[in-house]
Amino acid sequence: MIEIAYVVLGLAAVLFAGRAIAGPSLSDRVIGIDGVIVSGMSIIIVNAMDTGRGAFLPAAVVLALVSFVGTSVVARFIEGRGE
Amino acid sequence: MIGQAITLIGAVLVLLGAVGVLRFPDPLARMHALTKASTVGVGLVAIGSAFVLPTANDITSAIGAALLQFLTLPISASLLARVTYHARGIPSRVDAVDELADRSPPRP
Repeated sequence: MIEIAYVVLGLAAVLFAGRAIAGPSLSDRVIGIDGVIVSGMSIIIVNAMDTGRGAFLPAAVVLALVSFVGTSVVARFIEGRGE
Repeated sequence: MIGQAITLIGAVLVLLGAVGVLRFPDPLARMHALTKASTVGVGLVAIGSAFVLPTANDITSAIGAALLQFLTLPISASLLARVTYHARGIPSRVDAVDELADRSPPRP
């Protein structure tokens, strides 16, 4: 059942990356990259469940923080540039 | 076993959010799909891992990551939606009342 979760989350990451590549506007690309980060966090947590070792779980916390700061900074950038 | 089942439900919700992001027509709808499905998806994955992980240190890290996502993803989505509305001029065809229409655009 864990393997199905890996496959489903990997497929979700590929779909998010497709939107990040093909997005018409800058907001769409930011949404796609945010989704890739969400999928990566989930894969880290599922990997910790699979192996039983939680050595990489603080990386999920750091990814959540980096995602928030990055999205806020790009929002300020779009506000200044006006696209 | 129940932990794996909850994690699989969360993973399927993240996949549904990805399908919504790929298929919805305009940026505000895509943002809606990402925010709703991904917060619930990551929360369910973290709750399911809390059933399986052995030590309390790992459980608090996973729940902390999901809690941080709960706190920050709606805020960043709100910032991005406001900026997208003011920058591109989304047509208001969903709601009858457009509450942001008479607000002044943000300063450059």
